[in-house]
Amino acid sequence: MATILIVDDTASMRQMIGFTLNDASYEVTEAADGNEALEAARKSKFDAVITDINMPNMDGISLVRELRSLADYKFTPILMLTTESQDSKRKECKEAGATGWIVKPFNPEQLLNVIKNVLN
Amino acid sequence: MNTKTSKNKIFWVLTTLFIASSWLLTVSFVSIWVAISSGLSTAIAMVLILDYVRKHDDFDEYQDVSLDEKTSPIDAIDEQLRSAIEPAKGEIDQLPKIDDMLTTMAGASERRRIDGLVRKWAELAKQFNAVKHHLDGQINEVIKQSEDATDTIASSFKTVINKATLQASQAMNLLEGTQGATSDGSPQSLQDFIRVSDERLNKMADEVMRVADLSVKMVRDLDDVKDRTQAIDGFLLDVGKLADQTSLLALNADIEASRAGDAGRGFGIVAQEVRRLSKRSNVFSHEIRNHLRMVKNGLNATYSNMQTLTSKDMAHANNIKNEIRTLTKTLEDKNREVADTVSDINTISKEIAQDVQNVVISLQFHDIISQKLNSITTPMDNLASAIDLLTNETNSLGLASNWDSELAAQDQQTKSATNGKPLPRSSNNTTGKENALPNSGPNVELF
Repeated sequence: MATILIVDDTASMRQMIGFTLNDASYEVTEAADGNEALEAARKSKFDAVITDINMPNMDGISLVRELRSLADYKFTPILMLTTESQDSKRKECKEAGATGWIVKPFNPEQLLNVIKNVLN
Repeated sequence: MNTKTSKNKIFWVLTTLFIASSWLLTVSFVSIWVAISSGLSTAIAMVLILDYVRKHDDFDEYQDVSLDEKTSPIDAIDEQLRSAIEPAKGEIDQLPKIDDMLTTMAGASERRRIDGLVRKWAELAKQFNAVKHHLDGQINEVIKQSEDATDTIASSFKTVINKATLQASQAMNLLEGTQGATSDGSPQSLQDFIRVSDERLNKMADEVMRVADLSVKMVRDLDDVKDRTQAIDGFLLDVGKLADQTSLLALNADIEASRAGDAGRGFGIVAQEVRRLSKRSNVFSHEIRNHLRMVKNGLNATYSNMQTLTSKDMAHANNIKNEIRTLTKTLEDKNREVADTVSDINTISKEIAQDVQNVVISLQFHDIISQKLNSITTPMDNLASAIDLLTNETNSLGLASNWDSELAAQDQQTKSATNGKPLPRSSNNTTGKENALPNSGPNVELF
């Protein structure tokens, strides 16, 4: 089954995403910020990445830029999961190379559908 | 200061000399010029003195000190001149000094007001910093506590759901087993068990029915046998009658033979033998009829037994059939209940799945709350830095120097308090706009 990297500084968010994805038989790895995520992404190749935007140390948009600069993550789906709703942020994410945008709180069914879509 | 003071003294001495000499010259030589020159000189003297006094309101102090300390010839002249013009100077100086005093007093009052305002301003900044510090602490506490609580709820929820899922699947396995398909004819499920036992029991009931049918046929056959024995009995009666008649005929023949004498002796022997045979035949006939009666009795007993047996068999077989039907029906009802339970479990599982979704959505509240709380601290931080800027600017005016250090200390304290605390998002949320702005895009968007 596909492996997914979850990046969020809130533990409960990581738990909820992890729970939803595990339930649908995805293999999940968690990271608390951009730096941790980047380190994990360098160690092993993930099929998709779900990341928050506002995080300490390295934010989501910087993470997307860093990941896109890695050969392994040129075309990997990266979804932004955030409470942000400004169009400017959306645009920034899109320009950084993000695959999609999901507003918190996410609906589990919706999240799984999007994951299924981007993995195909 | 000393250099400047001595220069001023020289200036003052020269000026006084000039005024005195011009005054004397004017009075001694040109009477016409008296009025003009004296007026002009007085004016110049007034302007200069006014200027001097305005610039040096501490004139007297320095004057006293210098008189005590300095003993130069210029100073001596200076003192002489000074005493000479003192009455006039006193009058002239009164007006500008009062003006200056008033100005100075007004300035001092203004300055006191500004000082007071600046102090109040510093006090306000201090209070704001204290409130901000307190609010920051409270907000962080709320975020921390709600995070801990949410973590606990989330992990407990995860455990509960995993257990519920396991329980449901076990129940389903168990119930599906009772509904399962057959493999090798042996009952694997409740449904199979019902079917097989129904089959076997029905087969047994059919056997009982067949035996009962056979019994009925046997009874009918026995009836036939009874009729035939009745007929044999009738025949045997006839045989008895024939023997009796034969015996009577033989008796008659014997009488006739004895009447014929010797010639009939042989015939008499034959007649006696015929009588003996007929008697024996009669005895046989009786014995056969006796045996036949016993057979008839036996047949009758068998017949009635058979009849009882047959009716009992039939009733029993019917009972068995009815019982099997009831039993099967009960089992089928049970089976239907099981099927209903399975369906209920399926429905509940679906409902749980929906509830799980709702809980997953709801448990994201902490993240949203902490973001919103952080967005409260951001404008507060902005306000704090605006106040910092303003107080710094006020400080740079140098109006009140004694609270400069105080403010700087406060500022440092606030900054260190803010940096020391985990406010992960405040640095990124440069404004609190995200909450004020309407959600302009769709919830999910693939670029």
